[in-house]
Amino acid sequence: MRGMTKQELQPDQKKEQENVQPPQSELEELIRKEPTLAEEILEAYRKLEKARDILHTAGNIGVGETPNEVLVEKRAYRLLHYQQMVSKTARTPILIVYALINRSYVLDLQPDKSWIRSLLSQGFDVYLIDWKTPTAADKYVSFDDYVNCYIDDCVEAVLKKNKVEKLTLHGYCMGGTMSTMYTALHQEKIRNLAVIAPVIDGQKDFTVIGNLAKNMDVDKMLQVVGNLQSEQLYALYVTLKPFKQGINKYLNLLQNVDNEQFVGNFLRLEKWLYDTPPIAGETFRQWISDIYQKNLLVKNEMKLSDKIVDLSTIKVPLLNIIADEDHLVSPQCSAPLNDVVSSTDKRLMRFHTGHVGLIASLYSQNNVLPKVGQWLIARSQ
Amino acid sequence: MVENDNTENAQQFMQEQVNNAFEFWSSKLKLPTIGPTYAFSKDFSSFANDFVTLGKAMIELKSNMDSYWSLLSAAYTRAMRNTAEQAPMQLATKEDYENYRRAAIEAFEDTFTDLFTSSEFSQVYGKLLGSQLNVSRVVQSIVEKNFKMLNLPTRSEVDDILKDIVELKRTVRDMKRSVDARNDQARIAT
Repeated sequence: MRGMTKQELQPDQKKEQENVQPPQSELEELIRKEPTLAEEILEAYRKLEKARDILHTAGNIGVGETPNEVLVEKRAYRLLHYQQMVSKTARTPILIVYALINRSYVLDLQPDKSWIRSLLSQGFDVYLIDWKTPTAADKYVSFDDYVNCYIDDCVEAVLKKNKVEKLTLHGYCMGGTMSTMYTALHQEKIRNLAVIAPVIDGQKDFTVIGNLAKNMDVDKMLQVVGNLQSEQLYALYVTLKPFKQGINKYLNLLQNVDNEQFVGNFLRLEKWLYDTPPIAGETFRQWISDIYQKNLLVKNEMKLSDKIVDLSTIKVPLLNIIADEDHLVSPQCSAPLNDVVSSTDKRLMRFHTGHVGLIASLYSQNNVLPKVGQWLIARSQ
Repeated sequence: MVENDNTENAQQFMQEQVNNAFEFWSSKLKLPTIGPTYAFSKDFSSFANDFVTLGKAMIELKSNMDSYWSLLSAAYTRAMRNTAEQAPMQLATKEDYENYRRAAIEAFEDTFTDLFTSSEFSQVYGKLLGSQLNVSRVVQSIVEKNFKMLNLPTRSEVDDILKDIVELKRTVRDMKRSVDARNDQARIAT
């Protein structure tokens, strides 16, 4: 029918055509715009080539560009202090404790999706613990070292710099778990505890990670492998949304290869996803064995050095931020924190997004951060 | 379940065969444990033992790898069947292809996520990881023996030193903190 002109149609057909078909000029326009198979193949090839070039330069894209100074630098971490963007309205500084998985710049991925920039623009004084890559010599570094030594040193440095007695401890993912442990042990230095998707009740983690953790022989891993290497983490990542994120995202890149904004967002996230340092062996052993397999943290039986981490002793204001679509930490695994602490001022915020979407997306900027900022500012004077 | 039982039986059978072969050759090659052949006899039996242990570990790894692939293969078959049920029957237009892609991604995602969150996969994955570590452990033990011959520090010895250093650091940290606390108390008192 496509090649037939109006004159070639029978009168009754013509009438029918006029009723259902667009006008002749529009039809011709459509026919003219329809690309041939050869043109489509050429276009697909061009997109493929462009996508290949883009992926080759992925590592060069800028991330974590909010101005900051290094306040303290040690072998295990750097304590970053971000420059004020507006006049300070909150008296209590915020110390962000990042996770030990991948890099901290996901909290400052790009200006319009930066968790840190948003807090700065709301008048907070923001510090961040940027963990360095553990080496083979850090095999026996444990949560005791991270919590009672590294985080404690950073807390002391921030308190001294701001000449205050307490701060807001703000942790993301595994950093949320460590912040909770720290607060249970050193509450006198904490004004507020604000955690994002912390792992608290390992038995209620219904994600792939929680499932695989159940049968891992982590004692043997520590003995044979030492630190958990990046390759082992990549092997784990491929089991998380393997087709939607493993294959479909590259097909989406091909389709949107000429959209600069899409490509920029894609590359920044891709860079972060595959920027994976190893995890100190003993810390990983405790993470899997004590928190997931034995579920010691929520039972108040976890020990750091000779001290028991008793979450029921926590009395400071608590904000627990979780994502309904989180495929790395189940919301059911994070939520029990609010039940086990003794704080009277506690709030659970749930958002309809994923683990990374919670902190590095436009959704987070428009829906999560204004509410978090409001909660924090009311308790930071 | 039947498949798992068969795999375990095959694994047990292979291990028995390896043990029998090892015992047979050990008795044939036995050397006197006194006199000039003593050292040679000791080293030979130690290395032979390592290689047999390595063989056993590799058989175990192969068997667990087979169980792992059989789960993946069954999931792949299920995903293909689900795709065929959900995707368009005819691929005539661009939209048909697009719908096929969507249906395939959904079917594969759901099927494999179900697999990865199942307790059966968790057990098989745990066994596979464990057997990979067993192979590495035996290889490390062989390498360590060679290092000892060269009078070089072995990995276990370096490990012990690392453990001591971390313990020392913690002790120093605690001592420093208690001294600081005492100084603070003294300052307040004066």
